[in-house]
Amino acid sequence: MSDTAPTARGRRQSPLFQLRGELDGRTRLMLGVAGVATLLIGWEAAARVLAGDSILLPTIGQTLTALQELARSGELWGDLGASLRRVGIGYAVSLALGVVLGVAMGSLASAEASLEPVFGMVRYIPASALTPLFLLWLGIDESPKLALIVVGTVFYNVLMVADVARSVPTPLINASYTLGAGRLTVLRRVILPHSWPGIIDVARINLAAAWLMLVVAELLAADQGLAFRIVRAQRFRQVDRMFALLLVFGLIGVASDLALRALKSWTSPWARA
Amino acid sequence: MGPGVRAVGDGGAAAKLRCVGVTKRFPGRRRQPGTVALDGIDLEVGENELVCIVGASGCGKSTLLNIVGGLEEATEGTVEVDGAPVIGPGPDRGMVFQAYSLFPWKTVAENIRFGLECAGTPRPLRAERVQELLGIVGLTEFADTLPRDLSGGMRQRVAIARALAPEPDMLLLDEPFGALDAQTKQVLQDFLLTVWQRTGATILMVTHDVDEAVYLSSRVYVFSSRPGRVAEEIEVPFGAQRGPLVRRDPRFLDLRDEIQDHLRTNVR
Repeated sequence: MSDTAPTARGRRQSPLFQLRGELDGRTRLMLGVAGVATLLIGWEAAARVLAGDSILLPTIGQTLTALQELARSGELWGDLGASLRRVGIGYAVSLALGVVLGVAMGSLASAEASLEPVFGMVRYIPASALTPLFLLWLGIDESPKLALIVVGTVFYNVLMVADVARSVPTPLINASYTLGAGRLTVLRRVILPHSWPGIIDVARINLAAAWLMLVVAELLAADQGLAFRIVRAQRFRQVDRMFALLLVFGLIGVASDLALRALKSWTSPWARA
Repeated sequence: MGPGVRAVGDGGAAAKLRCVGVTKRFPGRRRQPGTVALDGIDLEVGENELVCIVGASGCGKSTLLNIVGGLEEATEGTVEVDGAPVIGPGPDRGMVFQAYSLFPWKTVAENIRFGLECAGTPRPLRAERVQELLGIVGLTEFADTLPRDLSGGMRQRVAIARALAPEPDMLLLDEPFGALDAQTKQVLQDFLLTVWQRTGATILMVTHDVDEAVYLSSRVYVFSSRPGRVAEEIEVPFGAQRGPLVRRDPRFLDLRDEIQDHLRTNVR
């Protein structure tokens, strides 16, 4: 068969379906927009199909109207403030503990040996199962809610920060010692800065768990807060309000995620991919 | 270990570094027998000397360097620098590792400055010293660059400059050019010779590259594997004046073959 054209070797792959393929910025953006649009269109379509005399699934428009209403009446701001304050305080405490204990575990074999078995066991107790206990111990005001947020996130924070601190390359630490650094200097000026971007990632990932615990806490006992408001709305079958509040949760999540990503690339340009 | 254990009257020129009977055993786990990484190493490096240790992987040569650097402890034996026992790491023994030892968040100048900050060198002096070292390693225009934007060869030059900054009594190099391509490696070998001649540093270097050892050092210790022992100590006859021509010297080739034969018979 001397007159057939030579067949091409290999197989060409479209970047869209190549494993570990790389997309250009525009395609990425378009795909992202398409994903969100699909979700919104699906929601809207389902709402219109299901629309009957009682609303179980509000349309996007109804949800936004409910959101406006919540904002105008001032309920939204009070609830948002209460929830943000709880998550803010509780998660800050959890992160502080996570960084201190995690860095200790990741840098000191003795800390690791003594803490790992404790945390390894305790973290399998679902934090939400402690809610009744906390209510019993701490009453029904703010403290049991904060305690739940702390307990529900601190073990993840500690163990994940420990992993981050462990990943500081040994040559880096050894080199520091041979340059005259003491242990405290190595901790402060080598292990902490090297771990910093990883710690921000841990904070970003586990923040979702903090919101989860907030909801658990507010569902049980609260007179203000986003999750409390959702339960309230459910009692009056105000599904549009419930959706509006769920939307608020989503927006807070996206905003905090973007903020922490920005913080990471601003404070640690060296760790940018 | 008091200062009184120092051996007296063993003659010869005072060695900068003296290892006597250095042995390192790693305990076994769960009824596995332990391993002997180093077995009775005797080794000396004179003032301003550049000495290489060659050996196959697993011969404990890096372990020995870590012991001299104070990063690991010998199970038996003594290590002395200028007659004083080594009990931990310190800026008097600068170390350079194969890779991943630069602070990735610090610029080249900041990396070099780290040792000076630890030593509490006054600011103006620091800046001056950093400039001087940047000049020595030829990276003046990269002072504000992050390590990630440097080539592998440049990174190792920064690592050497950083180790030199606190003016150590000796430099310990652990396969510093092991991760570099052949061309860059040769350039950096000549660079190291220049640094050595300019600073008069005492250098102990570990490598698995026999050519490199013969090219750079005045003496080569050939290690055997498992356990690591000094199989041979070989004088390299080329004086302080070395250059690319040495590589074609018949004595260079003979020495290289001799060492390679040693390594082959000692690897199991």
